[in-house]
Amino acid sequence: MSKLSNRLMKTSPIVISLVSFVLAILVSCVIMLLCGYDPIFAYSVIIEGSLGSVRSLTNTLIQATPLIFTGLAFMVGKKATLINLGVEGQMYTGAMVAALVGMTPLPLPGILHLFLALVCGVIGGGLAGALIGFLKVRFGSNEVITTTMTNFIIINFCDYLVNYPLKAEGAVAQTNKIVDGALLGKMIPGYQLTWAIVIAVLAALIVKFVLEKTRFGYEVRAVGLNMKAAETAGIKVGGVMMKAMLFSGALAGLCGAVHVTSVGKRFISGFSPGYGFSGISVAALASDSPLGIILAGIIFGALKTGAMYLNMMSQIPTEFVSVIQALVVIFVSAPLLIRALIGADRKPKKGGRSHAE
Amino acid sequence: MLNNITGILSTMFSMSIPLILAALGGVYSVRSGIMALGLESMILTGAFTAAVGSFYSGSAWIGLLCGILGGMIFGLCHGLLCIRYKVNQVISGIGLNLLATAASTLLMQIIWGNKGNSEAVASVNTKLTFLKDIPVLGDIFSRQSVLLIFTILVCIASWFILFKTPFGLRLRMVGENPKAASSMGIPVRRMKYIGVLVCGALAGLAGAYLSIDSLNMFVRDMSASRGYIAIAIAILSRYNPLNVLLCGSLFALCDAVQIYVQGYGIPSQLVQMIPYIVTLLVLAFGVKNIQPPAGVGKYEDE
Amino acid sequence: MNSVEMIDIVKQYPLVRAVDHVSFSLGQGEIHSLLGENGAGKSTLMKILYGMTVPDEGEIRVNGEPVKIKSPKDAIRLGIGMVHQHFMLSPVMSVTENIIVNHEPRKGWLIDEKKAEQEIQALIDRFHFNINAKAKVQELSVGEQQRVEILKAIYRGANILILDEPTAVLTPQEVEELFVIMRNLKKDNKSIIIITHKLKETLAIADRISVLRDGKMVESGLPLGNVTTSDLAKMMVGRDVELNVRRENTNMGEEFFRIQDLQLSERGVQVLKGISLSIRKGEILGVAGIEGNGQTELIEVLTGLRKADSGTMTMGTEAIRGDAHAFLKHKIGHIPEDRLSRGLVAEMSIEDNLILGYHDEPQFLKQGLLQKKNIQSYAEEAVGEYMIKTPNARELVSSLSGGNQQKVVIARVFKQNPDVLIVAQPTRGVDVGAMEYIHHQLLRLRDEGKAILLISADLDEVRSLSDRIAVIYDGRIVSVQQAEDTDELSLGLLMTGGKEEHHEQAV
Repeated sequence: MSKLSNRLMKTSPIVISLVSFVLAILVSCVIMLLCGYDPIFAYSVIIEGSLGSVRSLTNTLIQATPLIFTGLAFMVGKKATLINLGVEGQMYTGAMVAALVGMTPLPLPGILHLFLALVCGVIGGGLAGALIGFLKVRFGSNEVITTTMTNFIIINFCDYLVNYPLKAEGAVAQTNKIVDGALLGKMIPGYQLTWAIVIAVLAALIVKFVLEKTRFGYEVRAVGLNMKAAETAGIKVGGVMMKAMLFSGALAGLCGAVHVTSVGKRFISGFSPGYGFSGISVAALASDSPLGIILAGIIFGALKTGAMYLNMMSQIPTEFVSVIQALVVIFVSAPLLIRALIGADRKPKKGGRSHAE
Repeated sequence: MLNNITGILSTMFSMSIPLILAALGGVYSVRSGIMALGLESMILTGAFTAAVGSFYSGSAWIGLLCGILGGMIFGLCHGLLCIRYKVNQVISGIGLNLLATAASTLLMQIIWGNKGNSEAVASVNTKLTFLKDIPVLGDIFSRQSVLLIFTILVCIASWFILFKTPFGLRLRMVGENPKAASSMGIPVRRMKYIGVLVCGALAGLAGAYLSIDSLNMFVRDMSASRGYIAIAIAILSRYNPLNVLLCGSLFALCDAVQIYVQGYGIPSQLVQMIPYIVTLLVLAFGVKNIQPPAGVGKYEDE
Repeated sequence: MNSVEMIDIVKQYPLVRAVDHVSFSLGQGEIHSLLGENGAGKSTLMKILYGMTVPDEGEIRVNGEPVKIKSPKDAIRLGIGMVHQHFMLSPVMSVTENIIVNHEPRKGWLIDEKKAEQEIQALIDRFHFNINAKAKVQELSVGEQQRVEILKAIYRGANILILDEPTAVLTPQEVEELFVIMRNLKKDNKSIIIITHKLKETLAIADRISVLRDGKMVESGLPLGNVTTSDLAKMMVGRDVELNVRRENTNMGEEFFRIQDLQLSERGVQVLKGISLSIRKGEILGVAGIEGNGQTELIEVLTGLRKADSGTMTMGTEAIRGDAHAFLKHKIGHIPEDRLSRGLVAEMSIEDNLILGYHDEPQFLKQGLLQKKNIQSYAEEAVGEYMIKTPNARELVSSLSGGNQQKVVIARVFKQNPDVLIVAQPTRGVDVGAMEYIHHQLLRLRDEGKAILLISADLDEVRSLSDRIAVIYDGRIVSVQQAEDTDELSLGLLMTGGKEEHHEQAV
């Protein structure tokens, strides 16, 4: 096994990510051709719509913000061997808690109110994550299934809240608006872009620092790479896993909190088009590097923004972006497949032929 | 009162079909040593391709076949990724689940121009009507699809296949200890492919039941995490097909109760949580000492 | 006519040539011992014969016929059977199921279970294997499991048997039983290859020997005449070897590490039944025993990985309790029995591995932050001091050889200057060079006054290093004796639950 992984290491993760991404884009081109569109035209529209002007650039960054958070959240869990599919639900929790705090009039200056809302969102998401960690550590429950179940439970519960006790006046299932002072400010006057993106980048830097420089980060790495050895070395594996899930959930919660205090301005039923699951793709494309996640988040954000622009001009559904994201997850996880596709492991015909004489 | 009970039981049996079929698929996959986390994608794809097949052919039976094939294609993908390309089985399953969701939604828009559900398609309309004159039992079973009989039979047959036939012994050996199996001359990879393909076929059929038997259209994300619940069922059944029959029915009962309670004015969002909460509780308290086959995630050549 | 002839076989792996133009022949009805160190190529050669790997060059003949063996299936068809060192069995299945799989007697579509059981029981009775065909494999002892492996081959009609390190996991008594079985099989005109690095056993059972070193055949088909163990050792290693590192102990101090009446139950079964031992400063206490008699659990309790149900541990006068972390802080070092599963994080750097478990020492950690510079210089120092062969300390541990990986474990523990050492299987799977080195290091630490508990399945290792030897059987210490008072046979007897003797009552 170690020999195999050694050989895989030789193709650097960046190459694997790059090739995976290009392959996924190529597949999307085929889809466009099948729908009767010229992919070159489509992609020029996408680039135009996502990077072509200051407005489209800011839209890209708005789209990228939640993806960076959820990418980070998924990655942190994965480092401790936990596949946190519950980012979506944890994000809902954070969003709901932050919206509740944000919409309640408090005798606080706006900035403190905002801060409190964000912190409460972080705590909410973190606890939702820690619950999964607890079930895993205490009962050995498979986190893939428990997170999927809790997603349904949390999302349904939030839906219930905004349809019944917390429903604002009107037809839409949503809460009341968050107090003006507790909203994140705009970065550039006249554009929708808020300071949310800065918070996302800061979060990535913090995650990088924590994983590389702190005791917790070291222990997460040890647990993630060899749980038994970590245990033997006196590292409390269960504790590390719980903390990792708390951290992961907190990042997801922050994502939700930032969303409701910037783009959403309130909790709206079904506000997420699956940000939590997109995070899996973001982390995959970034090959689990925190700074890479910023970049990957922006790339997918741009694709999404461009795709929406494209959708206005053609009949191409924006869902092809989700297909690209899914393919990236699959390709990145299959270095052997990538190597086979790019012909990197074509063997020399036979081992010791030169020695035959 | 009796009406309520027969109603719930009737719903339970019809809800149990996809859960049992998918969980049984999971049993084959896990017994061959491949984790079944891609079940969700196989169900969803089965549901989608069944609707597509039925839509274009006008025949529900062809649709059913397409559903099975669709599930098998995803089963094969999972197999190729895990067996041939040594992808982490969890990640492979999740990647395929994401792909199935994205691709079905995308194709739905391309084919039917609608994001939420497909057009109405031909549905399997063969019910067990010949039972309708039997008191009580007739109320419960006469509205069930013939697939219910098939489901029960296939579970019993699977028990014989896994525990009484040479094929089953070999498949289990592959799942328990692939190296040992290989050293005995068993073609380990082929057996694993058979495991995931059977899994895909059964899960695909489960999906087809959802779209063109219990309904007559494909609805976005209509698998609704049944794939994950099916995994929980497979674990709780200790990977034994006969237990799957029982556990699957128990989980279906939650679904039935949920649907029944909705009629009493309790917000649907709350009652819809029931099956998921039950699954969560079962995973937390019910399955602690159940070990999967020792060779899950291992290969013969490591 | 020879049963097997392998002619000019070559097998090249990406980094090494595992088998280099090797020829080998096995006579009809003979027991042929294939000797060599770990990594000498003997396993690869036999994997080729059994079709588990394909040679790059060379020819194989079975009973005079040239054959191509591409898979174990081919080998089985040719009447070749292999008994692997790591048993290829499923513990949750029955003896019968394990044996018949892929060769099942049928009744229609189903397995003919009755016929299968009868056939297997008949074979068991014929060769006096003394096991129950219906038993689950997990209920059998190691020796019995090995017999199941041999049965698997015989059931498939094997006339040529390859036994890969068959005695590694057996007690001396079980080895004797195995030899009886082997001689029975030989009488049945079966040809047997035994892969081993144990010299005494080779002399006891083999008709002829072949010796491999670094992928080359250095001695082929030598009949056993006046060959001695030291001749064989020299052939294997290529130089004279110090087989007995044992050195007089001059520096024994006071009683220091004491464990008293440790008891532990697991799922209702008592696995440690009141274990008491004490170790002096400057002493190595060896614990001999067959695997599965409580050693693993004892190690886990002694390193804080598991909490005993009752009993005490003391260092000097101080009682020790808590988890693994607390035990490390008490300066109890631990060399785990399986370095890759418990000892190292293979995909982390040597640097990171050298501080594993000690990463919260103030030297490496201040205010929750890792001190990169200190860690680096510490690691470079360790690499030099312990002669770990690597370009630098930032390489991944997985890039090292087995022996060098073990040196990382040893360096990590020894450099932290523990007072007590729990050492399990320190030389398993390392080459002779690394083994000598590790033995010397252990003796050095002993002479520096450490209290060392050595748990090893290798009786030779226990006997050559220990000052005293305790025997563990069925969760109990059944004997503690001065090493020089022991002999292999009486130890073996104790290890299998023979009569207790010289039981020192620990006070």
